[in-house]
Amino acid sequence: MGGTPAGLEAQSLVKRFGATTAVDGIDIQVRPGEFFTVLGPSGCGKTTFLRLVAGILTPDGGRIAIGGADVSHAPIWARRIGLVFQNYALFPHMTVAQNVGFGLAMRKIPRAEREPRVARALATVRLEGYGGRKPSELSGGQQQRVALARAIVVEPDLLLLDEPLSNLDARLREDMRSELADLQHRLGITTILVTHDIHEAFSLSDRVAVMRQGRVEQVGAPTELYDRPANRFVAGFLGPVNEWTGRIGRIAGGVAEVALEGLRSCRVAALPDWREGGSATVVLRPERLAVRALDGDPPPGTIAGRVDQVAHLGNLVNYRVALGQRALLAQTAPGRTAGLALGSAVAIDWEDADLAPVSA
Amino acid sequence: MSGGAAGRAALGVRLGGGVWLFLGPALALMLAVYLAPLFDTAVVSLHPNTPSGIDRGRWTIANYLRLVDTYYWDVLLRTLRVSVLITAFSVLLAYPVAVWLAGLGPRGQTWAILVYMSPWFVNAVVKSFGWTLILGNKGLVNRGLMNLGVIDTPLRLMLNETGIVIGLLPGHFLFVLLPLWAALKGLDGNLRWAAMTLGARPWQVFLRVTVPLTLPALLAGAIINFTMNMAAFAAPALLGGTRTRVLSFVAYQVNLEELNWPFGGALAVAMLVVTLGFVTVAQGVTRRGLAGGGR
Repeated sequence: MGGTPAGLEAQSLVKRFGATTAVDGIDIQVRPGEFFTVLGPSGCGKTTFLRLVAGILTPDGGRIAIGGADVSHAPIWARRIGLVFQNYALFPHMTVAQNVGFGLAMRKIPRAEREPRVARALATVRLEGYGGRKPSELSGGQQQRVALARAIVVEPDLLLLDEPLSNLDARLREDMRSELADLQHRLGITTILVTHDIHEAFSLSDRVAVMRQGRVEQVGAPTELYDRPANRFVAGFLGPVNEWTGRIGRIAGGVAEVALEGLRSCRVAALPDWREGGSATVVLRPERLAVRALDGDPPPGTIAGRVDQVAHLGNLVNYRVALGQRALLAQTAPGRTAGLALGSAVAIDWEDADLAPVSA
Repeated sequence: MSGGAAGRAALGVRLGGGVWLFLGPALALMLAVYLAPLFDTAVVSLHPNTPSGIDRGRWTIANYLRLVDTYYWDVLLRTLRVSVLITAFSVLLAYPVAVWLAGLGPRGQTWAILVYMSPWFVNAVVKSFGWTLILGNKGLVNRGLMNLGVIDTPLRLMLNETGIVIGLLPGHFLFVLLPLWAALKGLDGNLRWAAMTLGARPWQVFLRVTVPLTLPALLAGAIINFTMNMAAFAAPALLGGTRTRVLSFVAYQVNLEELNWPFGGALAVAMLVVTLGFVTVAQGVTRRGLAGGGR
């Protein structure tokens, strides 16, 4: 569908509500055809950002350009945008076909042309033959698809999705997620998703922006964010993490020697503001922490601990390992043999390359 | 209708046969003090009136034949005309006022609703006398306009149909406003944004989304408004004057001054039939409007 996809550019965007600043000077660039997600906890300003892009809100500062054209103060109906709401916002007094055809009618597409386009859009979301039904006669997932069809039938420059899957139950959400991914790939439409769900963001997106308190904390591909979080907030928001502090020793060639408190020395890439003799924070994902049953003394380079808590999740096992006063988190795939028992002595170890330096 | 089932579901109980236990007292009361007298009124209207009272031994339709007499026919037409006018004005005013109201803050809405309710804080008779101070030949409006030199002779603002409309409109408007206001407040705000992202201008959102979704509430209010206009008594009696009588007042005169209950009954039945006829037509229009609402 459509011509060449358009990109989005938001520059130093600001939106205030009374004394609170919901969006506090954010810069986001979405490439043409990209699936981009704005991820953050509730109240971080992500929905405000989406509403600014859609034109429901007008910015107090900065600019928004879609496909190179400044739309910062363009009325909603003049922006070529498809918007899917969390509650779908289907018109309850119209049939499915009338809902999908509404945008075409508003854009003065001749009636003869509308019908095949509505039918095609309904086929795209696998709802052939549902045109005559009322939204109230459809399930949540089907309503979701009608909302999608209604948004894409007008061939918008930009598809905006506001927590579109959060009203669906867990199984349906998984299905819709993969369907959404397929659809976006097929149509090649530039898409911006707003969500607080990390799995949704990671499984769908080419790139993700993590937001907190009206600001963008980090932008990058999902693996980049997960493995190399820029700061403690991003590290913690994207999943459980071991966070360790230590004293910085020698810095040479961009690599710092850090003596981790209560653990051992390690070598990590130095952050620009690290100084020799200062303190540093590094994080390690639980699945990168190796735990092995220990018999006797720990092998050189490893540290001895005791299993403090075991949680079997089916495809994963979570361990909490007590190490003096501190607790470390480890995650492994369950082996064929029995896992580590509660209270058993273990040796822990990690690869320095898996450590990520973070700023506070 | 699923209203009953929904109501029972909301209560969290299944009443079964016990439902009559709860409905019974209210139903018995309605039967005894409303439906039975109403039925008797209809029966009486089919008996002749004699100097010594109602002759229940004979049956006649003479009372109904008298209704087509020019005087009563004119009264009926006037009552309808005034009622339809008040409903029309109320409906015309309803959307602008309700949309404005729904956009106010919670405190603003409370106060504004109080203002629209205020006609009901004053007794209908007192209120009508109040209107005479404003609408009379030497009333506020006429004196003001004459002092300003806008008019030479006073406008006739009361003791005619204008007076009845002015007297009833402020109070009866509330019954169109309240349901529409509630319906507007209940609308999903995202519908508006969804329509706009699809290219609809604000006026198109209003015509294609807001109106179709709130029209049933407006029409329900209009029906209540109309029946109240048809039945109003004090304001039409005082502001309409002797030459501008409406059906309710004539029925009162026939029943209580002439003590002709059979003919009074015929007038009452005629009023009921006309009102119900209008309501039925209006409901039919609503239903058809809903069925084709999306087109």
